[in-house]
Amino acid sequence: MLHLLTAVGILVCAIQAIRSRRLIVSALWLAGTSALVALELYLLGAPEIGVIELSVGAGLVTVLFVFAINLTGEEATDLRGLIKEPLAVVVSVLTIVLLGLLLVPGIDRAAPSVGEPALKVVLWGNRQLDLILQAVLVFCGVLGVLGLLSERESAPTEHNPLEGVE
Amino acid sequence: MTLSVPNIVILIVIGLLGTGIYALLTVRNLIKVVVALQIMVKAAMLALVLAGRLQGQENLGQSLALTVIVADTIVAVVGLALAVQVRRVVGSLDLNALTTLRR
Amino acid sequence: MAMTWLSLTIGLPWLGALIIWLVGDRDEKFTHGLAVAFSVAAGLAALLLLPYGKERLVYAIPIGGVFGDFTFVVDGLGVFLTAVATVVGSLAVIFSVDYMHGEHQLARYYAFVLFFIGGMAGLVLTSNMLLMFFFWEITALCSYALISFHNDDPKAVAGGIKALIITQLGGIGLLAGALLLYAYTGSNDFHLLLENPAILPAGALAWVAFGCLIAAAAKSAQFPFQTWLPDAMEAPTPISALIHAATMVNAGVYLLARFYPAFAEVAGWREAVMICGMLSALLAAVMALVATDLKRVLAYSTISQLGFMVYAVGAGGVFASQFHLLSHSIFKALLFLAAGAVIHSVGTRDMRQMGGLGKDMPLTRTVFVMGGLALAGVPVFNGFWSKELILEAGLHENPLWLYVLMVLVAGLTAFYTVRMITMVFYGEAPLNRHIHDAGFAMKVALIPLAVGSLTTWLLAGPFGNLLAESLPTHHLEVHSTLAVVEEVITAPATYLALGVVAVGWLSSWRRQRLSRVGKALGGVGKAAAEGFGFETINRGVVNATQKLAEALRVTQPGLLNWNVFAILCALLILLASLAVGGR
Repeated sequence: MLHLLTAVGILVCAIQAIRSRRLIVSALWLAGTSALVALELYLLGAPEIGVIELSVGAGLVTVLFVFAINLTGEEATDLRGLIKEPLAVVVSVLTIVLLGLLLVPGIDRAAPSVGEPALKVVLWGNRQLDLILQAVLVFCGVLGVLGLLSERESAPTEHNPLEGVE
Repeated sequence: MTLSVPNIVILIVIGLLGTGIYALLTVRNLIKVVVALQIMVKAAMLALVLAGRLQGQENLGQSLALTVIVADTIVAVVGLALAVQVRRVVGSLDLNALTTLRR
Repeated sequence: MAMTWLSLTIGLPWLGALIIWLVGDRDEKFTHGLAVAFSVAAGLAALLLLPYGKERLVYAIPIGGVFGDFTFVVDGLGVFLTAVATVVGSLAVIFSVDYMHGEHQLARYYAFVLFFIGGMAGLVLTSNMLLMFFFWEITALCSYALISFHNDDPKAVAGGIKALIITQLGGIGLLAGALLLYAYTGSNDFHLLLENPAILPAGALAWVAFGCLIAAAAKSAQFPFQTWLPDAMEAPTPISALIHAATMVNAGVYLLARFYPAFAEVAGWREAVMICGMLSALLAAVMALVATDLKRVLAYSTISQLGFMVYAVGAGGVFASQFHLLSHSIFKALLFLAAGAVIHSVGTRDMRQMGGLGKDMPLTRTVFVMGGLALAGVPVFNGFWSKELILEAGLHENPLWLYVLMVLVAGLTAFYTVRMITMVFYGEAPLNRHIHDAGFAMKVALIPLAVGSLTTWLLAGPFGNLLAESLPTHHLEVHSTLAVVEEVITAPATYLALGVVAVGWLSSWRRQRLSRVGKALGGVGKAAAEGFGFETINRGVVNATQKLAEALRVTQPGLLNWNVFAILCALLILLASLAVGGR
């Protein structure tokens, strides 16, 4: 029952995040989605991942969104997409139906019992390359952001400079 | 069809993916695009944990989900930083305005 | 301990590259200093790694199940080439302090140079074929970025892109080899293959062998891919020295030497390697006879000398080829850096406008002549011993006609070397010229190399031991330095080769008298200046690749909605086909 409620909550939040016209509201709905996904992860028996998702996904990322939206300013978001609405709906629904047809049957099966090491062993012992690459990724992300934000001085200012940001 | 836990989770996954896809097809605001990507990544995360559960390799699935969280955060950070810069240089968050960057 | 030196050798240049890139172009002197410090430190680490070469240590970095371990092997071949790459590389960096003085964007320059050196060290030290491919591509990327360092010069950009596309073609060969190896053995470690080539079925082994030959030919600028190297001369001269002597082109010869035990039995492989080497040596030597651009002559001579090394591997003389690689990297780095000093002060690369420089640049002349003597294979210089060893290897149960042609190439080498030296340093000097000799940093780089080209042949014995002990699967026969000297001196073939060299030497000295012969051969000369038509073919390949890329631009409108739509359509097709038939 709790699962079902969470599922409905997640989907409602996600749809609202997309539908909402104001960016800041959109970001808040996204935070809601993230928090409910964290709850679902907890219910699925992954409390560690859940708590990280809650703090990073619902916390940090939301802060970033609010920060970025503050910097860029609210903008009317009702620009029409390049693809006609009906076509987009048809394609998305088609994807959903096909995925459902492929994935839902046969998912309800008993898990084979494979003896496997604890999470920390899997994470630190068996996936070392991934960890290294993650570190590189984080490093690249930091560098990228530094680069992006540091060009502030050199960026051309004739296009609507932002007041009070510097 | 009984609504067992895996069924519910897979429905969440498909629903989130569909929402994200629809958004990517229709949205033109850069920050909204980042929102859509976030939604799709949540789907991937849940799918990984579920797949681990179904295969009896819960910890592998969870550790992969952890990697996804990291990657996803970096994507959000860089995407938003890009959006800020685009707004500053091009003067708009509209994706179509970005085609001016093309030669 | 060896592990420390190993990781320092690869890690230091990369760390340096990162730091220099982050520091940027704030202070020119600081950037120069950082680059020199990191490259010299890497060179020292590589030298400290040398003694461990004999022990054949294996280090595996576990990275999870799919790709196997990332293994690094400290053996003779690896440590030797690492030492060459880092030491010659650091000398090129020191030389750059003078040569690149006052240039813009030094951080980009040095970051790529160090990245290049580290990539080359990794390439020769790893024994994981996938990782090897990874390093291989790093060197390709860096060579592209450095050749087109002056990216406002269309010729430099074109040269860089040509180098990139042609070496990529070769890279496909290596990747195919790596994938085949993985498909059949479930592991990327090539030592399994070297110990027992029979783990691959004969057909697959032949594919891997010829794939590696293509990769090596493209990387080492061998026939029929030889045309990218002369065009790469648009790079700053220290980069040319780096590419020709320390890093890039050695990779191809290394690949052939490394896999020799596995591929030697493949039908036709050794012959193909020998012919490839012979054709490159011969064609490039003829082209060097008529070229008038100083750096192009040196580039052709590199192709020609690499042809000698490739020929030696095919002939079974792995030791001779690696020994010549050592000699070549020393004297070629010397020649390039000395040529760089000349070009730096004269301001042109055209040899017809030089002449008489010997009086103004005595030190540069002396070291250049020493390098030239080594290149021509004149006794006592290191090039003599290694070239004689190669020619001797060619006599062991190998086709005689190939040997004869190679001896002829040795004569041609002497001819174009003398022609180059006289055109640059002797003869009439044009008037009104202000020439200064090499600067301090240039001298620091030139003198050790000049000493090296006189003395490295003394290392024949220890070097042979190093290779023989750590490469059991190669079954190398080695002797002490004294025995090598004796072998070379007593072999009648040596005197034959020396005679041909002397003829080449004399005819070059008196080449005015030969003008009638020259006219008779005018057609050959013209063909040589055009690169024997391979220039056209290679340019065609490069143009076709670029045209294709240009045509594919239509599919990239830069509109996210449509891009997602296209991705989604592909996904839908995939899902639909799965839903219909897959389950």
